[in-house]
Amino acid sequence: MRKQVTITAEPIDEPALISQREMSPGMGAVVCFLGVVRGTEGKARIKALEYEVFQSMAEHQINLLFGELARRWPIESVRLVHRVGLVKANEPSLWVEVVAPHRAEAFAACQWLIDEMKRVAPIWKKPVVGSN
Amino acid sequence: MMRVTVCFYSYFKDLAGCASATQPVACGSTLEDLFSALVVRFPKLGVMRKATLMAVGVDYQSRSYVLREGDEVSLFPPVQGG
Repeated sequence: MRKQVTITAEPIDEPALISQREMSPGMGAVVCFLGVVRGTEGKARIKALEYEVFQSMAEHQINLLFGELARRWPIESVRLVHRVGLVKANEPSLWVEVVAPHRAEAFAACQWLIDEMKRVAPIWKKPVVGSN
Repeated sequence: MMRVTVCFYSYFKDLAGCASATQPVACGSTLEDLFSALVVRFPKLGVMRKATLMAVGVDYQSRSYVLREGDEVSLFPPVQGG
């Protein structure tokens, strides 16, 4: 299984990521998820989220999840990009792609990976409020 | 006695007043023992006792983990990526 985790302060370049996609002839499903910073936190408006990461542990924990993913589903490729630092409202903070033979396993694997990533990857966020 | 390095993440840095510290502990001490010693030194951490996640290196460990010389311990609140 091809796997790639990227934790970066750079903006997520979705077209570039898509252009790097590799699929063998037996693959029939690509599920992509884009998580975007909401402009509200509860009832309050925010202008950004500030993400902090314990990077080496986050990469390790996500790679452990990739291993479990490969045991559960016949996935050909999984890529996960998490942006850290200051991410403005309406900008993406998370991009996940799963390539599999069929949609059922692709959707299930993508959902599971995001749920587990949010449970174990040491990443935290705090809202940034204020105008401009 | 031995010394372990402790790193704090997220708002635990504010509770401790620093990003990292070196803490002496008795040989055979567990992560729970370490946390108790840290609460004496950094009392504001005490309110987070039950919610604290602990790692040694890049792996989560239970509170019964027995510390070794040179361990790098990280303490942090529940994670919230995505």
